[in-house]
Amino acid sequence: MATTTEDQNQSSDGPLQRWTQSAIQDPDKVYRALFYAAMVFFLVTTLFPFYWLMVLAVTPEGNLLSGSFLPTINLFGVSGTFPLPVPKGFNPGAFVGVFEQVPFHLYMLNSFALAVTTTVIVLFVASLAGYVFGRLRFPGRALLMLGILAISYFPPAAFVIPLFQAFAGNAPITVPFTSIPLFTPPRMLNTPGSMVLPFSALFMPLSIFILTTFYGQIPDGLEDAARVEGTTRLGALFRVIMPLSAPGVATAAVLTFIAVYNEYFFSSIMATSPEATNWSPIVGGILSYQTQYTTQFNLMAAASIVGVLPVVILVVVAQERIVSGLTSGALKE
Amino acid sequence: MARVRLEHVTKRYDDQGDIVTAVDDMNLDIDHGEFICFVGPSGCGKSTTMETIAGLTIPTEGEIYIGDREVTNLPPKDRGIAMVFQNIALFPHMDVYDNISFGLRLRDYPQDEIDRRVERASDIVQLDGMLSRMPEEMSGGQRQRVAIARAIVREPDVFLMDEPLANLDAKLKVHMRTELQRLHKELDTTIIYVTHDQEEAMTLSDRIAVLDSGQLQQIDPPLTCYNEPDNLFVAGFIGSPSMNFIEGTVTENALETPNFDLEFNPASVEGISAGDKVTLGVRPEDIYPGELRDEVPDPSGMIQAKADILEPMGDEIFAYLLLGDGETSMDQEMATNDQLLMSIDPDSDLEEEESISVVIDRRNVHLFDSATGEAIVHDLIPYEAEGTASGSEVESDD
Repeated sequence: MATTTEDQNQSSDGPLQRWTQSAIQDPDKVYRALFYAAMVFFLVTTLFPFYWLMVLAVTPEGNLLSGSFLPTINLFGVSGTFPLPVPKGFNPGAFVGVFEQVPFHLYMLNSFALAVTTTVIVLFVASLAGYVFGRLRFPGRALLMLGILAISYFPPAAFVIPLFQAFAGNAPITVPFTSIPLFTPPRMLNTPGSMVLPFSALFMPLSIFILTTFYGQIPDGLEDAARVEGTTRLGALFRVIMPLSAPGVATAAVLTFIAVYNEYFFSSIMATSPEATNWSPIVGGILSYQTQYTTQFNLMAAASIVGVLPVVILVVVAQERIVSGLTSGALKE
Repeated sequence: MARVRLEHVTKRYDDQGDIVTAVDDMNLDIDHGEFICFVGPSGCGKSTTMETIAGLTIPTEGEIYIGDREVTNLPPKDRGIAMVFQNIALFPHMDVYDNISFGLRLRDYPQDEIDRRVERASDIVQLDGMLSRMPEEMSGGQRQRVAIARAIVREPDVFLMDEPLANLDAKLKVHMRTELQRLHKELDTTIIYVTHDQEEAMTLSDRIAVLDSGQLQQIDPPLTCYNEPDNLFVAGFIGSPSMNFIEGTVTENALETPNFDLEFNPASVEGISAGDKVTLGVRPEDIYPGELRDEVPDPSGMIQAKADILEPMGDEIFAYLLLGDGETSMDQEMATNDQLLMSIDPDSDLEEEESISVVIDRRNVHLFDSATGEAIVHDLIPYEAEGTASGSEVESDD
């Protein structure tokens, strides 16, 4: 080994210097190395939290707060600290415990129902908007699109107080800056309506943007053909344009679903207490393992893992569609 | 009965402040079972006219009738039409059967009726055994046949075809052309067909509607358009290669052009008098070599020319002749008056740069008003007193 490199190099430089030398001649090597470095960085930062959750979940509750998760190891007489946390004990019962202590499955069902409802609403409305923005020409189109995108620039917190007041249904809605009452909204706190409505509004712009791009690329001839064959414009949208934009629709759907499934900010406020019957979502459920005096970190960790599983499955199944949807913008035929 | 009528149909677009008139006061009356071709250069409004009939575009003014119904503002699905598109427009996510039956399924036909009709349509266009294929697995010609089958199954009152053969290769085009004719015979349906290919229009249609700049120039049977074009545009558009045009002035007994005179009696032709500026139109096949002068029924005097370019086509040779001083000019405007295209016998030993004298068959000479482009006359009666009008039989035309 050593002799061959020396033969090639004619010098006794160190390996780093040799690598640098060859990288100068072949810059692709550097890009490859940078790529691997970045990949490792992302993998560690995204996967390590899951590993840490795993470690916490299987560690018995009594061992959680005593001692270090980094064990001291003794190897051939040299002792040192192992750099990766390992469980202190093994108690898979935590994964059962999460359902025994609180009805965690109900929280999951809440999140799931909220996410599915929002996704359906968003896809339907964003399809109509995407059709109009992508396929029709009318004055003010760019400005209107910009306005819709601008909604997504606002922090959601900006909407919380007025929405909470509206959904509480205690006082009539007034004309802005006056006290002229318009109507008294029904009380919607602790119902799915108070969550699905703001979610739909907040996640709509992104879906509209994605679908506009996709619907705009379907040839006019196909829509004309569908209309001559007997559909209305709407029929052409749902029978021809939407199926042909499947990657885009899947992308919009999955992004919306995941965002709502993981949402906590609005739901923690619109569900006045973190109870499953108040439509509190997964995060509300996870936080209920924390009481005034105790925090059951192992159950919280186990619940987090259980809660994440459906999304993992969804992403794995839809992965190909999402990737092609996110990248195929301009290249689509 | 699916008679199609367009009354004063006008379509104007607003193109960033400019008003563009795509179709200008179009009046058409198409009989049941007629095969009509819309021809014209790109941008002449033929596709827009068809889209207004299909309902894909709503006209700015005017009314459209299909059968006895006014359909001007009806959506396409309620007009009883079927359409074949230039880009074929099969639904890529459906197989052939689903594509063909799409319209029937939308209208909730019973399944056995759908099956029966799909089978018959695929029979007519010879698509047996391909019903479960996806469009991407088929050749251009097969896809086009699926598109036609999709139109047939609906049994529409009117077929609209927007350049259906434009994307096919030359051989397939000719094949599909004959299939379309057969189809028209079998179905006995009104067909409106848009093409920029005048050859397609000539061979397929009962009547040709020639359009230019959104206006109807002429609507007549193909041979009438060919033999008696209403104006310069139709004369130049119908016929391949195109008619020769030479500007000239009418004198007492002849048409004077920069390079030769054509004798005739202006008094015998209505609407023309000495001093008028006219454009002479003569088709390549109505020009003969000088040695055949005796066989031409009503020949002109000898015209001296020089062969410039020869294009052998196999069954004939197109010879581009230069008149007068024989200067080649790249400038189209300048060149037209000095150039003459004739069709000669393939056995001819004419060579490039060789001098040749030619005669024009005066019975097939068109005169157009240079200012308006309107046709004045489609044959010239020879000037009786003129001795040079050849010794052969001098007779007036029909």
